[in-house]
This record gives sequence, C-alpha cells and structure tokens, in this order.
Amino acid sequence: MERLATAWAIFQGLLIEALPFLLIGVAIASLARWLSPGGRWLQRLPRHPLLGPLTGAALGFALPACECGNVPVARRLLAGGAPVETALGFLFAAPVLNPIVLASTWAAFPNQPWLLAARPGGALLLALLLACVLRLLPETALLTPALLEERRLSQPLAEVGLLERRTGLVGAVSPAPLPAKPSRPPLQEVLQHGSHEFLDLAALLVLGCVIAATVQTLLPRSWLLAVGGAPTLSVLSLMLLAVVVSVCSSVDAFLALGFAAQITPGALLAFLVLGPVVDLKLLGLFRVLLQPRAIALTAAAASVAVLVLGQWVNLLLL
Amino acid sequence: MRSLALALWGLVLLVSSLSGRLDLLLSGAFHPLVALSGVLLLGLAALQLPAEFGARRRQPTPRSWWLSAAVALLVLAIAPNPSFSDLAANRPAELGEEAELSFLLPPAQRSLTDWVRLLRSQPDPSLYAGDPVRISGFVWPQAGDRPQLARLLVRCCLADATPVGLPLRWPAGPLPKADQWLAVQGTMAVEEHNGQSRSVVVAERIRPIPRPRRPLEP
Repeated sequence: MERLATAWAIFQGLLIEALPFLLIGVAIASLARWLSPGGRWLQRLPRHPLLGPLTGAALGFALPACECGNVPVARRLLAGGAPVETALGFLFAAPVLNPIVLASTWAAFPNQPWLLAARPGGALLLALLLACVLRLLPETALLTPALLEERRLSQPLAEVGLLERRTGLVGAVSPAPLPAKPSRPPLQEVLQHGSHEFLDLAALLVLGCVIAATVQTLLPRSWLLAVGGAPTLSVLSLMLLAVVVSVCSSVDAFLALGFAAQITPGALLAFLVLGPVVDLKLLGLFRVLLQPRAIALTAAAASVAVLVLGQWVNLLLL
Repeated sequence: MRSLALALWGLVLLVSSLSGRLDLLLSGAFHPLVALSGVLLLGLAALQLPAEFGARRRQPTPRSWWLSAAVALLVLAIAPNPSFSDLAANRPAELGEEAELSFLLPPAQRSLTDWVRLLRSQPDPSLYAGDPVRISGFVWPQAGDRPQLARLLVRCCLADATPVGLPLRWPAGPLPKADQWLAVQGTMAVEEHNGQSRSVVVAERIRPIPRPRRPLEP
C-alpha cells in the first residue's frame, strides 16, 4: 500500500511538472499557426538530408522548450508541410540544443568543459542519424494518419504521390501553383485547435507518467548504479536509467550531478544524450506524431547510437 | 467537454499550488510556473465555454479525454502522500558535489543537509567531535545498521529525490518507526563502523514532530 502511495506521488510530481511545459509548447505552436497561417515559410525549409536536420536543430535555439513542449511544436512543423528531415531534426535535437538546457548543463558541470561540447555535439549527431534512419520509411509508415491528413492540406498536390492522395486528378500533373495566400484564422479557431492539441497530448502524457512512476517504484535505482565502474555495463545501465526516470531535459544535468562521481564519463554522456530523445514519458507523447513502428525504430536506433557514443568516449577518456 | 476538460486540468494545477501539495512534489523553482499555467488553462476554458455550448452541432469527445479527465479528478481527490523512507530506499545516497562549502553556520544552527554536506566535503570525524547538533528529519531504516535520520533533496520533482542521512546513536529502548519525523538534539561523536571511523550523532533529546510544510530540500 505504501508503495502504491509513493508511486502515486511520483506520478503526480512528473505530471504536474510536465504539464506547464506542454502548455508552453502548444502555445508556441498555436502562435505560429496564427501568425503564419498556411506556414508558407515552413515549406521552404531545406529538404537536404544533412541540411534539413541541421536547420531543424538550429530552430531549437529560437524555441526554448524541453522535450514535452517540443512535441506540439514539431507536430505543427509537420502539419504545416515542413520537410520531414527538418521536423525530425528539430524534434530530436532541440531538447538539448536550446539555451536553457545548455545553461543548466554548464551550471551543473562547470569543471567538466568536455561535457559542454560533447552533450550538444552528441545530441546533434544523434538527431542527424535518427532523421536519416526514419527517412527510410515512407511518410505513410512514419506519421500518424491524422497528422498525415493535416499535412496533405498544406502540401502542393504535385508533391503528394498518387497512392497517398485522397482527392485530385489522376494523371500527369503539372507543378500546380500554390493556393492563394491563406487568411489569418480567427482567434477562436486557433484557441480551439490549441486546446484540442493540449488535451490530446495531456492524455498521452498521463499514460507515459503512469508507466514511468510504476517502473521507478518497482525498480530500485541502486541496482542500475551498482555497475557504475564497468565501462559497457555502466553505459547500458545509465541509458536504462535515463529511459526510466523521464525527467525534463532542462533539469536532468542536475540529476546526473548526483551520481556523476560514481560512473564512467561515457555513461554520463549517454544519460544526458539519450534521456531527451527516448524516455517512457515521451514514448506516449510521440504517439501524436509517429506510427508505433517508427517509434520502435527511433528507440532502437537511438539506443545503439548512444551505446556506441558512450563506449567511444570511455575509450578516449578512461 | 473540451472546456470542461481544460478547466479540470487548470484546477489540478491551481489546487495543487494553493493547497501546498506542490511542496511535496516539486522543487520550489517550478511553483510559480505551475500556478500560472493553472490560471491560463482556466482562462482558456472560460473563453471557449460560451462558443462550445452555443454550437448547434457538438463534436464527439475522444475517449482519451474522458480517461484523462477521470485521472484529473483522481488527482484532485487523492492528495499525494509518499513514504519518504520508501523513496529514499530506492535511490543511491550520493551527492557528489559541493567539494567546498561557501560558508559555514555555527554547529547548533546547521540543518541535517548542512551537516551531511560538511561531512562529505571534510570527512575527518575528529574535527566535529563534541559539537552540539540540532536537526530534524525522517527515520530512514538501513540494512544491517541502525536507522538514520534523513532528508530528501529534490532538483526537479519527486522522481529525482536523493536521500541524505546522518547516522544516529539512539537512546536505549525501542527504535523509532520508519518514516516518523523527529527533532533530535545531541552531540557529534566518533565511532568505528566497518573498520572506519565515522561521525555519529549521539541523541540526547528526541521529540516527534509533524512532517514540515516543506519537507523537500533543494
């Protein structure tokens, strides 16, 4: 019974801490929708496999939100017709590459300058890799049907494959001119849309927090840290810890500070790079963007990449 | 239903802020943000209520909204009441920081956390032998040792709570129960533990106290 009460309190802590950040993210996305209806600039973002994710990552500096707030903004990018590469680059890199997270990392580890370069560098590499891997899937297997439908509305017909179309002419298509500049939607409609998005995400956040709180209560954290000194095991255990704990990327550096002395440097970096991209709380939120198969692919690819990164850092520094 | 669900989540955030529940859940830095978000959500709900009820055709409510609204009601109804010793038991007790303390209070004014930080930065037990101690905390049972008096440090939310504890030499008689909050007066002494000398608080006066309003330390 006591365990249950503790899990309930951890659940409330995670949920109440994340809700304001979710609201900030939805507010940024709604504001973008209101200020730039139709999001013509979104469609002009680069499609290049390398330049796209890099541009997306750079957007993180302009929109300082942690990973929960990132999901609605990334959804807005995709729904507005932004290239998938750019949106994925933003989704995976922006939780680390933003001023708040970099400042908190520096505040937590002022005496480890390598980390200040390695964390954003690692996050950027990981985002590039994930964008490349996920791009192998066709859009229909990558994005959820609801998002795909919204995205089609803001894409020129000529860019949509025949099989992906719901309407339009069959046959040779000349590059159709873009529709006339859409007018600014009424404020009431933007509020309605934003509220809808917030409630959808809140439901998924609840699911993620339930899983994270349950696993945390049942799995003693000391087990995960018991293998701190062994290079490979320590990287693996800290990766698992990052997935389970699910704290916000703006404060995870302070949490890592608590056990930085006991573990290998590679494991520390793995914790700081993997947590903002894959954790139990996020897996629920990703459901508004990605199909289950794409989420599984993200988790698998990110885990392998972070393991290699951690090992490599251990080789260099140990 | 949309306005109702928004209002419910707004209420969850606002009630948690006003009732002091947040003191049990989150680090103080986040409290204003939570309260502000609650007010914003309630305002958003109020703005949309007339339009939603005036609409001729109601949109069907997604099932996930009903579920999350039910969770919001549960959060409102059941206040958090974590077991501190349970939280502490699941976590490693490492601070790994504050190699040097910037300032030092006189011994009798140091809190439990101050003492633990001091002992980690200058771990020479003989320096503190005989110092007066006045601390409060909860009872944290230890495997194969006497229970310690402990506090939880929280950077973000309960999910990252880290325990800090001080060994105590309890007076003769039954040992206190886990999770009980106590105020302890005594003196610092040195004892042998597993072949190493360590600082220990020799308790002279022990008084049960209610859980403090802000039990988590930054």
